Amino acid sequence: MRRLPLLPVVAGLLAAPFSVPAEEPGPVTDVAALAEELERLKQKLAELEPLQRRVEQLETELDAARARQEELALADADAKRDRVPGTSEPAADEAAFAAAEIEDGITLGGALRFNFYSNDFDETVESKRGDGGLDLFRLGADGRIDDFLLSAEYRFYSFMDVLHHGWIGYEFDTLGQFELGVTRVPFGLLPYASHNFWFGTPYYLGLSDDYDFGAKWVYDAGPWQWQAAFFKNAEFGSPANLDRYSYDVVAVGDTRNEESNQLNFRGSYTLGADSSCSHEIGLSGQFGEIYNADTNRNGDHWAAAAHLDTRCGRWNVQLQAARYDYAPENPPGVPDNVIRLGGFGTSYDVAAEASVLVANVAYNLPLSWEYIDQVTCYNDYSRVLKDEDGFDDSQLNTTGCLLGVGPLYVYFDLIHAENMVFFGDGSLAGNGEDGWKRRFNVNVGYYW
Amino acid sequence: MSAITGKRFRRLGRLLTGIALGWLTVTGPQPLRADDNELTVVSWGGSYTRSQILGFVRDYEKASGVDVDMIDYAGGIDEIRSQVRSWNIKWDVIDLELFDAITACEEGLLEPIDAAALPPAPDGTAATADFLDGALMPCGVGNVAAATVIAFHPERVGRAPQRLEDFFNVKDFPGRRGLRRTPQTNLEWALLVDGVAPERVYEVLSTEEGIDRAFEVLTRLKPYVEWWSMGEEAVRLLETGRVVMTSAYNGRIHAATERGRPFRILWDRHVRFIDVWSIPRHGENVERALEFVHFATSTEALAAQARYIPYGPMRRSSMALLDADTVADLPTAPQNLAVSFRRDPAWWARHMPEIAPRFERWADRPVMVPRDWPAR
Repeated sequence: MRRLPLLPVVAGLLAAPFSVPAEEPGPVTDVAALAEELERLKQKLAELEPLQRRVEQLETELDAARARQEELALADADAKRDRVPGTSEPAADEAAFAAAEIEDGITLGGALRFNFYSNDFDETVESKRGDGGLDLFRLGADGRIDDFLLSAEYRFYSFMDVLHHGWIGYEFDTLGQFELGVTRVPFGLLPYASHNFWFGTPYYLGLSDDYDFGAKWVYDAGPWQWQAAFFKNAEFGSPANLDRYSYDVVAVGDTRNEESNQLNFRGSYTLGADSSCSHEIGLSGQFGEIYNADTNRNGDHWAAAAHLDTRCGRWNVQLQAARYDYAPENPPGVPDNVIRLGGFGTSYDVAAEASVLVANVAYNLPLSWEYIDQVTCYNDYSRVLKDEDGFDDSQLNTTGCLLGVGPLYVYFDLIHAENMVFFGDGSLAGNGEDGWKRRFNVNVGYYW
Repeated sequence: MSAITGKRFRRLGRLLTGIALGWLTVTGPQPLRADDNELTVVSWGGSYTRSQILGFVRDYEKASGVDVDMIDYAGGIDEIRSQVRSWNIKWDVIDLELFDAITACEEGLLEPIDAAALPPAPDGTAATADFLDGALMPCGVGNVAAATVIAFHPERVGRAPQRLEDFFNVKDFPGRRGLRRTPQTNLEWALLVDGVAPERVYEVLSTEEGIDRAFEVLTRLKPYVEWWSMGEEAVRLLETGRVVMTSAYNGRIHAATERGRPFRILWDRHVRFIDVWSIPRHGENVERALEFVHFATSTEALAAQARYIPYGPMRRSSMALLDADTVADLPTAPQNLAVSFRRDPAWWARHMPEIAPRFERWADRPVMVPRDWPAR
């Protein structure tokens, strides 16, 4: 142990007493005079006591009055801030405050799903009383660091593994959100034009839950939402690659078309947002080129949709009417009245011009049970009305329920399809097999 | 000026250390903590905290020279458990709901408080005789009896509700409702409107069927419910027109009406409950905290608080200091007492751990068809 030097310690000891405040000796005065002075001061003090109490009382009352005044002013300010006059919409500063509360961080998630099905149009499956197996295993990441955003998901199916979506973005203070990468095409009902696991016909036409490569801008302004996007091409440059999640124009067989340079615009207005009854109405449009590798020429395609998405109490009604037209520059001998789409490792023809109708209804059951968190039952109907004479309409009607228990979600779907791809010899183009087909599908997923 | 070399620096250090040691030897240790003269008191915010500050906190500060720092919280004992178990006590005194105090006391999170040492009433009556029944417990001293009532905005609700059932009747009394996000009071009210006699409510709630029955009633109301946590939030729900009726603490509504709000109170089957002052264990300010609790639960302090918010003081002697108008607004006023329902804090202390998770899970469930459900 280091020894302390003796001299400074002694200096400290000597210095300390002189630093302690000491009472100053007063002047020598007459004792009687001092006593008299003391008595006089005591009397004055006694006289002041009621005054002192009154001062304290007034101080307290003043504090109370001030507090009340401040509260009143604050409550008035809050009331004004909370609502835009005449609406139930929160004002912009509250939205800005909510946005400021968003924390940085990237969240990892994923799912493991299994699927069981049986149908009445495949003898083998029917004889086995159904079939089942792994549906997918997927991993994803979502989040933000500062104002930079990220969202990505990779999926492993038994027959392919593929990027579902992947984009990086930036959120501006007042100019909305910008996304770059493989991102969802803003068209029609979002996020899905259906409730069931198998989707409706718009998905199989590439008009719902479609992902392409490009840039998208999303801007929220109170009840309005605007989305605009430019997509250079479908999600993975190669048009011959069928390993993709969403359906696009593909170059397979005797057609060598591909999507390019597509513009999208979508605007929606929500009545009664954040209330128990909200109605979103919207319009969407898309226009793009169809490049044909055989003719080296660009055709074009366009689509438009109007939609209504009503969530009132426990009910949800979705309506959509869409129209699309593909006009490729095919070489002679290749029909122009169909276009080839592909995805999920396969491809099929769809009518080049058609209208698509969607009418979905869903009900969220009131549950007071301890362990069942969600039961939502629905009926989703969609129909493709093809322009070409002789092309029969395609229809899809799915009745089912989604059951949620903690991280488990189970879809029970009874699907009826007429002239629909994946259902016997049904077709979204012509020459399909008429008549209704049935499929019962159960999908069990653990989501985290 | 020449630079101080390392050797010189060490020598200077030793010199200063020596002087300091000599100084301390003579004068003794000096207070080093900046917060030695502070007390952190945790309460419920808004007009309730205001009533405490104006009622007795400022008087205590003047009398003791201690600076009281008031902090808001929304109930529960998780934070207390965390502080006590880590011996990192940041809260000196806490205004707890009685059922929370019972649980925390049983878990050994609170300092015992000797009720016999509390100051007597002005007429010399011992504190143990002066406090109302149920106001004293081993780890807490009751301060006020408050009430959860139904408050409504008469202009927005159409016609005034007359009884508790009207709150649950959205057909005849349309509009959104505010409820505190807790099973307490909500489950009791659900059974009361479902026809359970008040004296049997906790007996029914003690069964699985009873709990299911209460949740069924609440599930029917849930599409119309806005949840609140802090007392002032209930007032704001009414002020901003987000609800036409809400459960609320009677004192908060009284304060709002004093500010000119046109709110009215439905006293029918309001739920009475008691708050207590408690002190977390292992704190460094226990003595001072105890001194504060003694001061805050004196006859004068409790009466003074009641003048700023109509909560019933827990001392009989305090009631004697209040004028008739103030007494009429208290939950303990005879006309209010007659239509009240008394919450059983002991029952909640036993059952809250199992019911709260179920309630939270139930409350989290979406009413509307979710827009974002699992990606397919």
